Amino acid sequence: MTPIDDLKDKVAIITGATKGIGRSTAILFARSGAKVIATGRSEDAGAKTAAMIQAEGGEGLFTRQDVTSEADWKKVCETALSRFGGLDIVVNNAGVFMVKPIEKTSEDDFDWIYQTNVEGTFLGIKYGFDAMRKTGRGGRIVNVSSLMGQVGFPGASAYCATKGAITGLTKSAALEGADITPPIRVNSLHPGVIWTEMITDQFGGDEALQQAFIDETPLKMIGRPEHMADAIAYLASDQSSYVTGSELTIDGGRGAD
Amino acid sequence: MASQDLAGKVAIVTGGTRGLGLACAHSLANAGANVIITGLNEERGADAVQSIGASTRFVRQDVGKPDDWPTVMAAAAELGDLDIMVANAGISNFIPIEQMDLQAFRTLMNINLKGAFLSLKHATQAMRSHGKGGSIIMMSSVMGRISAPANTHYSASKAGVRLMMKAAALELGAENIRVNAVLPGLIHSDMTAWLDEAETASAFVPVKRFGLASEIADTVLFAASDRSKFMTGTELVVDGGLLAR
Repeated sequence: MTPIDDLKDKVAIITGATKGIGRSTAILFARSGAKVIATGRSEDAGAKTAAMIQAEGGEGLFTRQDVTSEADWKKVCETALSRFGGLDIVVNNAGVFMVKPIEKTSEDDFDWIYQTNVEGTFLGIKYGFDAMRKTGRGGRIVNVSSLMGQVGFPGASAYCATKGAITGLTKSAALEGADITPPIRVNSLHPGVIWTEMITDQFGGDEALQQAFIDETPLKMIGRPEHMADAIAYLASDQSSYVTGSELTIDGGRGAD
Repeated sequence: MASQDLAGKVAIVTGGTRGLGLACAHSLANAGANVIITGLNEERGADAVQSIGASTRFVRQDVGKPDDWPTVMAAAAELGDLDIMVANAGISNFIPIEQMDLQAFRTLMNINLKGAFLSLKHATQAMRSHGKGGSIIMMSSVMGRISAPANTHYSASKAGVRLMMKAAALELGAENIRVNAVLPGLIHSDMTAWLDEAETASAFVPVKRFGLASEIADTVLFAASDRSKFMTGTELVVDGGLLAR
């Protein structure tokens, strides 16, 4: 992970920062000098992320948040404004994953994945816009979608539906954000298979599985949370100052196939 | 941006004497790379080299001419193993279908499509021979996804580059040669100088301004560096939101 000068002193909310891509992003942002508000549901894992931020010499904290709760979003944005003097970046990373054939997917299953992935992202944009307007420095929002927000996958119809929704949500938000002065840029990131608990919880974490993913990937390597952190840093910094409403796919080439 | 991401790397930028290519050459050199820039105009080449600094060399080249490539590759080999190819050279003009003679169509295709292929081919040869992989960045355009009247040849060329990139990414991934495309929107440059910038931007660009060549170079730098090491076969859109609606 390479630190980015432009992230220095920026205030960033990173959801789902208790593990995986969110945690790596929090560490990279802290290393770059950003003030990180890491959020998630698990206090224990959150405390670990907070310790990692501090180990980077970063000024940041963990706060418990359920991304589907409007009250929690208000509280988190208020923390950014009152404690750090503003908000520059929101990384809507929190997400859940499920593999189930269509006919076995219940309404409860669908609501569960939809609420976190779609409503959680929507609320992050909504309250992010509000806090960024109050801050008056423009802003950058990165929504973590998926390669499965661009192509289908058997057994993942509900997940694909939520990630596709994030793709569309991002473009509309980008158009609204472009009309705010100074503008707020909004982009989506589309990871391929990234070796995190999201994958290992679902499929198991053995070496044979990892090798199978490597074999399926044109670059013949496994995606790591650190790779996504670098991409999020690009989208959240002025290195992408003319990029908005775009889809950034980082998948080792799977989507090109 | 970490300043020395590309220290000691060797890069070629075709069409590197002005506009987007020149901005890319500046950024790559600032990040520590040794850069070969190519182009047709010797005078502009000399000016560009002077503006970038000592690590840069200019080689005169028509990208669409196979015979012009060996000199370029030899110049790069003198600097070391090739790590980065920015296949940027391109031209643009607007000609309605029935007024376009085949020669005009071919002239553009020779540079934009065949030139991109020859860049890909020579970069592949060089990167395979040293076996360390590399990053190839192909300049496509938003016009490779959407289009405009009188732009059949340009759109065809840029859509061609976009898909050529994907095929190459699949073919070369196992050798850690990454291939990606950048799709600029309306960028302030000689190519767009004929447009009324304020009027065009307010009509077509959500952020209501043209991009700067340096903003394209920033994205090229991301694609060139190890910060994108899991990225291949990707289209990086840099357009101020133009394609989002």
